[in-house]
Order: sequence, then structure tokens, then C-alpha cells
Amino acid sequence: MLSELLQGTDTGAVLIIQDSCSYSGQHLLKSFISAALNKEEAVHVLGFDVSEEELKDGLTASTQRLHFHSAYTDPLGWTNRTAFTVHQFCVEELTHLLKQTSHPKPVTLVIDSLSWILRHVSPPAVCKTLQQLKKGGAVRAVIGLLHADMHQRGTVGSVCHLATSVITVAPGTKGDEAVAKTTKRSKSGKVMQDEEIFSIKGDFSVTVVSKTSHAGHRQTEPEEHQTDPTANLTFNIRLSDTEREAKEKLALPFVFSKEKKTALLQSGPGSGRILYEPDANDDYDQEDPDDDLDV
Amino acid sequence: MFTELNSILNATPDSFTQGEFILVSDRQSDASFLIHHFLSFYLRARCKVCFLGLVQSFSHYSAISQRLGVSLTQAREKGQLIFLEGLKESLSILIPQETTTGSQAMDFLRDPTVGLQRLYEFVRSSVRSDGGGEEGVEEWGPPVLLVDDVSVLLSLGVSAGAVLDFSHYCRATVCSQLQGNIVMLVRCHGEDAEDDGSDEGSEWLLKGVTHQCSLTLHVQGLPTGYCRDIHGQVEVCWRRRRGDGQHTQKKLFQYKVHDKGASFFAPGTSSAVL
Repeated sequence: MLSELLQGTDTGAVLIIQDSCSYSGQHLLKSFISAALNKEEAVHVLGFDVSEEELKDGLTASTQRLHFHSAYTDPLGWTNRTAFTVHQFCVEELTHLLKQTSHPKPVTLVIDSLSWILRHVSPPAVCKTLQQLKKGGAVRAVIGLLHADMHQRGTVGSVCHLATSVITVAPGTKGDEAVAKTTKRSKSGKVMQDEEIFSIKGDFSVTVVSKTSHAGHRQTEPEEHQTDPTANLTFNIRLSDTEREAKEKLALPFVFSKEKKTALLQSGPGSGRILYEPDANDDYDQEDPDDDLDV
Repeated sequence: MFTELNSILNATPDSFTQGEFILVSDRQSDASFLIHHFLSFYLRARCKVCFLGLVQSFSHYSAISQRLGVSLTQAREKGQLIFLEGLKESLSILIPQETTTGSQAMDFLRDPTVGLQRLYEFVRSSVRSDGGGEEGVEEWGPPVLLVDDVSVLLSLGVSAGAVLDFSHYCRATVCSQLQGNIVMLVRCHGEDAEDDGSDEGSEWLLKGVTHQCSLTLHVQGLPTGYCRDIHGQVEVCWRRRRGDGQHTQKKLFQYKVHDKGASFFAPGTSSAVL
């Protein structure tokens, strides 16, 4: 699903890349920028976390359609050299900013990173702006990077709820591989999830190494070879066929089977017999009082 | 300057990566020996060093640097080292006298909610080389900012968000604009994990600065407990890499601090064991 997302996004799509301290989502973000530039789209980048040089470093695609709005040098207005401050993150200012560079192609807005904005602007305001960007016509798609370990779970959840796709990246087992868990919500309301292992090459193209199946269906491991306990012994405990038959025929000594019960109840030949002649006072009942016992 | 650490970080006083943001952190341990290393390293590399010493006095660093072969007094006189003595300056703010003309750097002590803009301005004026300097002023190399340590600001009432803003601005000015380096020390208490950033303490600050930095050195005690011959372990993590090698690389070393340095070795190869 990662490759599908890289190929193209629908109009009104909001894609959020969640990363953490152990693996930075910056390179994946650059891959998305590179893919968008290769598709001849206009990309506007709101850079808070990285400088322009660092973002453009390594991008081989033509950077002519890449417009970088630097909020890195002075996001809070401390040095009065601002191009874009964090408090300008609202729909009016953004639309104004995007209109300054006019072009016929639809615009993809990349925000690096949303965490910076969330530290200074309240989460409801950020969500409102994202929603208005999604619904309005100023941008075709919004891609944002979010450092999930820097915010409360509720904040991360709220922002990701707005998104049409969320990619959570984590380090993989091998050196340059990483795991991406993707959740995509289509317009019809269907939610698709996927987990893939990917690696990013030098030119920021993404190679999906393998697809791990959904969390519910683990890959069935090949059945373990049943070990034979009678092998590798210095003595022989195997049974031949006749021995096995005799073993199964054997009646165990303390099991009360039907044969034993009839043998005990009916006296065999030659054993003592009991003759009973009831007195006048005896209440002799011919019936066996133990007859109803199910033994 | 610890030669083994130099070879681990692939840096010599003559050639080191510029524009690096190095985060030195510790959890229930003491990573300040690394600050002494970086101080002597960058002074030897003839860089212009701005040192924010918020927890110790100048004489403390001077005495230790003497053992590492660098004279801080000389560097300060020559103008190579600009040293902000946080403890002294804070006294002049808390007990103001008419004659004090100290810099406004520690102004956040008056009102911690204001933020660290003044401190940033102090840093900015220190690292910028004066245009049209006097004759005889030596030309120093790229500027370096050393902060020891950042988490004490949290104890002084500054919010962790303000500290992150400060480190961001320093990075924008020193690393990106002037191609200098920054070394910051963040100390954590190792308290139980807070609820994902609701409590903005030192752990949250550590995560925030980790996202900004390009190289982290995390010092911890040995997980197995106290050892006389091994003082702890250092985890070195390279985060951003230009060009090839997009992935982060981590290496673990154990160390022992001596009188005049520290030795680093791969786990299990301590000289006491071999």
C-alpha cells in the first residue's frame, strides 16, 4: 500500500507520517516529495524542522516546482527575519501564501513538521486548519510529519483521525530497513491496513522489501517435526505388531469391567452356596435392593 | 580530548563534520566528562567556542581542562572562548546591585515564562565574529556552542517547550547558518515513564532534542550494576546522514574515566576482563 500512496493521492487527501525518536520519518517524507515532483506536481513545503538546504539535499528531481517556505530560521519572530511564523498557520494565511506562486497544477502541501506547530498552536486550531485545507480547494493534498512520541495520545489521535492515510514508521530488524504500518481510509468509508518492510535508496525512491501479512494472520510456521522419542536409545523399547496387539488386549487389574462384575455376582462352580430360610418375623423381599445401582 | 572517542566519532581537531548538533544525555549517570572532552576538542581545533556553563563555575572547567592539556584562561583572554558563568550571573540578577552591568542572558530567572530569547541573543552575539575586528585579532574557525546543561533550566522554571525553542533557534543560527557545531547536555532522572508527553519533564525534553540532533551519545550505568573497572556504557547513535547511508547507525561502548582522560572499548573487552 505504501507504493500506491507514493504513486498518487486523491484530491482532498491528508497523509500523516508518524515517527519516533528511534526512526526518523524525514527520509520517507522526502520520498513523497520526490515522487510528487516526479509526477510534475507543484509542491509547497512549510519547513519548521529542517532548513531549505537540508531538505533539498539529495533530491534529484527537478526542484523548480518545489517552493520552500522557511519557517526554520525564525518561526517565532525572535529575529524579525521571518518568512513564515508558526502563528501564521491558518487557512487564510496559507491560501495567501500559496496564491503568491501561481501555477496551473494542483498543489501538494508538505508540512515538516506538524509537531512544531502543535507545540505552539492548540490542537483544535490545527485540526480545524487541516480540515479546512482538506475541504477547501487551495491544495490537492496535504502531507504532514508528526513525531508521535512528543504529544499526548489524544492529540496524536485527533490529528490522525482527520487524515485519510496514516503511515507509522518504526526501525526494522536489519540496518537500513524499516517497518511501515499503513492505514488508509477511502471515501466510501472502507479502512484498509497494511504492514510492510521498506528501505529508502539514495535517490529517495522507496523499495518495499516484503509485505508482512495483517496482524491477525501470522505467517503459519511450518509444523514442527515430531521428534521420535524411541530413537537414539541404547535399549529397544519399540513394539512389534504382535506385541502391540497383546498389549491392547490386556485387561488392567483394577478396572471394573463388565466381565468382572458378572463373575463376582454369579458364584462360580464349586464355591460355597448360601441357603437362607426366612423366619416368621423376617421381612424377606425377593428383590435385590442393589439392583438399581449402576455399577 | 579523548583519542578513542575521536576515532569512534571519526573526528580529529583538523577535520570534523561541520553543522552537527550533538546531544549528550544521561540517565541516572553523569555524562559531564563528555562535555570536557568536547570543550578541549573544539578549543584544540581552533574554533570559536561559546560555553554556557549553567551548573559549574569557570574554575571547575579550567581545572579539568588543565589536565586535558588545554588552558581555558588563555583561551578566554585570546577571545577564543566566551564563557557564560551562569551561577555568577544569576546572583547578580537575584541580588541586583547598582554597579552590575551583566548581560541580559540570565533574564529568564526574573520571569521564567518569558522564555529564553535573551539567552539566544547572547549566544548569537557571541558566535558571530565581529565584522571589522581590531588588528591582531586571530581568525578562529567555525563557531561552537556548548551547553552544560540544558535540563537545569527546567528546574529553574523554564518550560520544556521554551527550551526546545531555544535549541531550535541555536541550531538554525549556529549549525545551519554559520556551519558550526552544537553540543548540549540533557540529564534525565530516570523517573517512571510519564503519560506520553502530558508531563513535560526531562524525558520529553530529551525526546524533543533527539529529534533535532544529528548525533546522540547516551550515557548510562551498566545494566548489571556497579563495577569498579567499568564506569558505564555509552550508546552512540548517528541520526542524520547526508548522502548515502540513510539509515541510523547505533554503536554501544563501555567506558572508564581516568585521571586524565577516558577509555572506550567494545562491551566485554575491558582490560580488567581480558
